[in-house]
Amino acid sequence: MTPETVALMLETLPDAVIVCTTEGRVVHWSDGARSIFGYVTSEAIDHPLIELIVPADQASEHRRMLKEIVAKGSAVYESVRRRKDGSLLYVDVSSRRFVNAEANESLVLSVEKDVTHIKVQRDSKLMDARFRDLLESTPDGIVMANPTGYIVLANTQAEKLFGYASGELRGRPVDMLLPERYRHAHVGHRSQYFLQPRKRAMGSGLDLSGLRKDGTEFPIEISLSPLHTEESSFVLSAIRDISERKEIQKALQESNEELARANLAKDHFLANMSHELRTPLNAIIGFTGTLLMKLPGPLTAEQEKQLRTVQSSGRHLLALINDLLDVAKIESGKVELNRELVDCNALVEEVTATLRPQAEEKGLELLLTVPETPLLLRTDHRALSQIVINLTSNAIKFSDHGEVNLTLALRAESDSVRTAEIAIADTGVGISEHDQARLFGAFSRFNTSRDKAPEGTGLGLHLSQKLAHALGGTITCQSELGMGSTFVVIVPEG
Amino acid sequence: MPANVLIIEDNSANLELVAYLLESAGYVVLVATNGVDGVAVFQREMPDLVLCDLQMPRLDGYGVLEQLRADPTCRDLRIIALTAFSMRGDEDRVLTAGFDGYLSKPIDPEKFIAQIEAFLPADLHSRHRSPTGL
Repeated sequence: MTPETVALMLETLPDAVIVCTTEGRVVHWSDGARSIFGYVTSEAIDHPLIELIVPADQASEHRRMLKEIVAKGSAVYESVRRRKDGSLLYVDVSSRRFVNAEANESLVLSVEKDVTHIKVQRDSKLMDARFRDLLESTPDGIVMANPTGYIVLANTQAEKLFGYASGELRGRPVDMLLPERYRHAHVGHRSQYFLQPRKRAMGSGLDLSGLRKDGTEFPIEISLSPLHTEESSFVLSAIRDISERKEIQKALQESNEELARANLAKDHFLANMSHELRTPLNAIIGFTGTLLMKLPGPLTAEQEKQLRTVQSSGRHLLALINDLLDVAKIESGKVELNRELVDCNALVEEVTATLRPQAEEKGLELLLTVPETPLLLRTDHRALSQIVINLTSNAIKFSDHGEVNLTLALRAESDSVRTAEIAIADTGVGISEHDQARLFGAFSRFNTSRDKAPEGTGLGLHLSQKLAHALGGTITCQSELGMGSTFVVIVPEG
Repeated sequence: MPANVLIIEDNSANLELVAYLLESAGYVVLVATNGVDGVAVFQREMPDLVLCDLQMPRLDGYGVLEQLRADPTCRDLRIIALTAFSMRGDEDRVLTAGFDGYLSKPIDPEKFIAQIEAFLPADLHSRHRSPTGL
């Protein structure tokens, strides 16, 4: 055989034939090397081999190997190499020091064989034996890949997720499970990952998709963890199909938006309703007022009496509208509570001062007991006032003799959170047990066997209880028919 | 000298009520049934006080306020909002927009004149009262 034929045969070898100087500079680069590593001859010659095909984390090991070959004369070893495109592969390397007598120089001669595929098969069998049972028992899809990006093991769930037959994923590049647009970045991520392997949990915020065998995509969530064995390092991926969850999230978001729209519509409705109801009342209350003021002229006694009836009905209607709106606002959660530090002593004193004339008119005594030091509580002043006024005015309304007793006390204090208690006791007609059950319902009024038409809107207690709940408290009632009633408001700080 | 008062209100019953009360108290009353006319009447007559409904079609109370304040010839503008809205925060909105005051509907016919006189200097108050007193 001629030297030319031998040279041609060397070029035809599928393995990479590389010759370097003892410093590691490439002087020969076979066609096999191009085929395996991706660099053409002109890109390789005169370049340091370490820059071409050695991954960053292998650099120091490579230099050590080179020194050993020069010193000892030969070496056979396994290594991880890097292609021109950045992807990794496993190689078996046979190296020998060669003395070129005619040029009086030492060279390093290497043949590198791509063993990635074989290694995957080998690792696969090992991993399978060791981990198959465990991996089959999890509900998630599990894919184990080696640093060169090939699937060493995939459990049945993963195969089903991506639409592959049993065993079909082994030895395939893990990238094929990703849509094309992710693949390029994934190669980089993978190499990075092996440099700094760390657990990454699901839901790290990336919107990922998986690619099924049939070409369809589906949203996935993955978590990664490194797995180290004596043979090699692997990446374990747990994959979850989150299509259903995404659909539920979307439906939830849409229903939330719809809810927000409905609430807004309801608020507009409340505001408009308030306006519409008050407008005609303006004329009713207004003109009965001007007539009773005798502006257009004098009135007969009967005319005046009838007009007063209209006026009182008009005022009742207005009170009803106001209370209804308050109830509607509370029901729809629209009441704005203004929480501030309230001096409860001052509050109850204000209420008694306001209602004293009414009590005196009926010959009732209005008594007030407050703690010595002013009881300060973080709550809404207007709401609490409204409740106390309502309960006290009820007490006055339903008593014909005797007294109404208002007591303010500190009920409890723990971790500097105070709870106040306001009791309103009267000596009035009392409430039967039967009626007590319906006490706080809307529009409940009781047959008190009195001649007078029922006063009030029937919403006072209902509203008061709703307000008390909004403040985080309660209203309770103790009563005996014919003896009187005691209403107790409990308000925690909040 | 009793003040000239301009009422801008699209509801005829409400307009009638306020006009009646003011006239009975001795004030000179000017009327407009919509915002656009209201602005025109103001520019022509320069009344001492304006009572303006908030909710009117086409040009509402806020629109009237804006136009009058933007007009350099309209000085000494005293304008009170009359409104049937009653949510907490409505009053703040009205005062922040630049109204001098706010009266809530339904009005109290017995207190109404005293309430609006709070916005007028004493020399513009009417000394004339109807025989039964207001």
